[in-house]
Amino acid sequence: MPRENIEQYKGVFIFAQQVDNELSGIALELLGKAKDLANDLDEKKVTAVLLGENVGSLVDTLAEYGADRVIVVDDPALKDYRTEPYTHALASVINEFKPEILLVGATAIGRDLGPRVSSRVHTGLTADCTQLDIGDFPLNAVEGQEQKHKQLLMTRPAFGGNTIATIACPDFRPQMATVRPGVMQKITPVKGAKAEVVEFNPGFEENDCYTKILEIVKAVSEVEDIQEAKILVSGGRGVGSAENFKILDDLAKALHGTVSCSRAVVDSGWKPKDLQVGQTGKTVRPKVYFAIGISGAIQHVAGMEESDLIIAINKDENAPIFDVADYGVVGDLNKIVPALTKKIEEALAAKG
Amino acid sequence: MDFQLDQQHEMARSLFREFAEKEVKPHAIDVDETEEFPRETVAKMQKYGFMGIPVPKEYGGQGCDPLTYVMCVEELAKVCGTTAVIVSAHTSLCCDPILTYGTEEQKQKYLVPLAKGEKLGAFGLTEPMAGTDAQGVQTKAVLTEDGKEWVLNGSKCFITNGKEADVYIIFAYTDVVEDKKGRKQKKFSAFIVEKDTPGFTFGTKENKMGIRGSSTYELIFQDCHIPAENLLGTRGKGFAIAMHTLDGGRIGIAAQALGIAEGALDRTVEYVKERKQFGRAIGAFQNTQFQLANMATQCEAAKLLVYQAADAKKTKDYYGIEAAKAKLFAAEVAMDVTTKAVQLHGGYGYIREYEVERMMRDAKITEIYEGTSEVQRMVISGALLK
Repeated sequence: MPRENIEQYKGVFIFAQQVDNELSGIALELLGKAKDLANDLDEKKVTAVLLGENVGSLVDTLAEYGADRVIVVDDPALKDYRTEPYTHALASVINEFKPEILLVGATAIGRDLGPRVSSRVHTGLTADCTQLDIGDFPLNAVEGQEQKHKQLLMTRPAFGGNTIATIACPDFRPQMATVRPGVMQKITPVKGAKAEVVEFNPGFEENDCYTKILEIVKAVSEVEDIQEAKILVSGGRGVGSAENFKILDDLAKALHGTVSCSRAVVDSGWKPKDLQVGQTGKTVRPKVYFAIGISGAIQHVAGMEESDLIIAINKDENAPIFDVADYGVVGDLNKIVPALTKKIEEALAAKG
Repeated sequence: MDFQLDQQHEMARSLFREFAEKEVKPHAIDVDETEEFPRETVAKMQKYGFMGIPVPKEYGGQGCDPLTYVMCVEELAKVCGTTAVIVSAHTSLCCDPILTYGTEEQKQKYLVPLAKGEKLGAFGLTEPMAGTDAQGVQTKAVLTEDGKEWVLNGSKCFITNGKEADVYIIFAYTDVVEDKKGRKQKKFSAFIVEKDTPGFTFGTKENKMGIRGSSTYELIFQDCHIPAENLLGTRGKGFAIAMHTLDGGRIGIAAQALGIAEGALDRTVEYVKERKQFGRAIGAFQNTQFQLANMATQCEAAKLLVYQAADAKKTKDYYGIEAAKAKLFAAEVAMDVTTKAVQLHGGYGYIREYEVERMMRDAKITEIYEGTSEVQRMVISGALLK
């Protein structure tokens, strides 16, 4: 049953995720995207929904990054993220303020909260979006079917990234999406910008559905599992010795990545077998794979060719690794790797 | 046509058989279990002249014909696949190319100690990217500006006798030329490389399914300098040298496969006479009899092909087709006969002590190395369709 009067729903809202009274980066990224969407809709306003306890101090930051209005639900029940009170708060905000679009970050919290809320207010949700546009639905007019304009077209990778699906939610409101962190751009903050603040109290009652939090553990992750790593700095025989892996360790540290290796390195006893990539080791699919001093025989390549970006450093320009590399440097890794580490450290320092 | 071995060959065979029974068989289980290269046995074979059977006497060998050498590999393989391949790789893949393509100096310096059994030889062609497609070799050799040395860079894998051998025949590309259509083609050359040359080291030791005592290693060349005079044959003719060498090597592997099959058959015949079920020896059952009949016939057919190939090597300039047929057939017979040998042994066949399971594991490699069965079929059909 399509919802009646979906025209009542106006405005672009984002869920401003905070943890321990610190805004998560995704909240600011969503604001940046929400401004674009609001412009395309001729809506001038972007609203941030801020849930928590004593979170008033975060309003100004949201304003500087593009929120015109902040709806604050401030309650002890919202001190730490729990599914039920947060769902209750956000669903109540939707029912009261009737947004047309609601964006949530696809973080661990957002992926838990988004589906709960969408089901409570009975609307559609697209998960883990990487692209959001305003456009017509259906994308190509179909004879005999009404084409709806100014819909939110939500695009996301599906089937493990093997296909791209564009999804719309034409008959229900709000149009909800969780958005992959790191995809959308923050705006340059406008110093001193202010937003309209709306306090809202949906009324909380502790009940049995509420999760009891016994303990929150902050783990400092020592990424040991190379299959989980987003960035792998992989060394081969060309590294020359166990000691010389230090230059790879330094590069990995600068990039917050993990060191892995080829079979030759394991056979030489420089690294343990758990770090071996290839047919007889592990198959990895990091965002970035550095192949340093690795010739690139198929026995190794089979374990890493699905990496999003492959960067090869090898002194032999005919090394087969260059056939699969997106970027390649021919030269002495002992000179290149430390120089690269230095550049990356400088760039990161400049970025703050 | 003569299907009878003459007296000389008969004597040679009984010598090999006695050695295999006395010196090799007692250690076969142990060599497989420990995966240790049988150094003491090899030292004995070196002493008795087993390492230079087809090499002329003036180069330190025994001056026998290829058939005598084939029988030696066959008799060793009957009791131990590992020991057989050590002799075959050394003789066919290292001594033979030096004898065929080497200069007099190279023969004196390398072939004489190899054939006399003072040194052990190996052959390095295969690489991770170049197996059946041998043209994919990435190892590179560059002549220094003064023309005195070659510098090798690259690696080889699955090298039989690796790390144990003193002398290696290594293939590397030395030139890239454009053919008529403007496509780049690598030109290969063959080199003699000694163990302990700076820049030449050993990498991974492979843990194999069968022939577990055979030392199979990765060879690594990092700026390895060798004297210019260690180029074997003509620069750029390495590919032809490799192919011709493998033609001979295939006869050796065919002999190994034949021996493995015959060894498994011999044991099975003994076993079915002794083993009783339903009050009779299992040899009294017709299934056993027919299976044995098939196995014996297959072995005999393989033997004639192998011996014919050995004879072709003696009498013909080109014996590649005979070698390919012998290796293809003998290897597939070895796989089939050893599998059936295990079956006829029943549960005991699956126990390592009974040795036929080892023969089955050893047989499989004969369908793969020195050119897979598919490569042999390519060679044979290529000649048919010329």
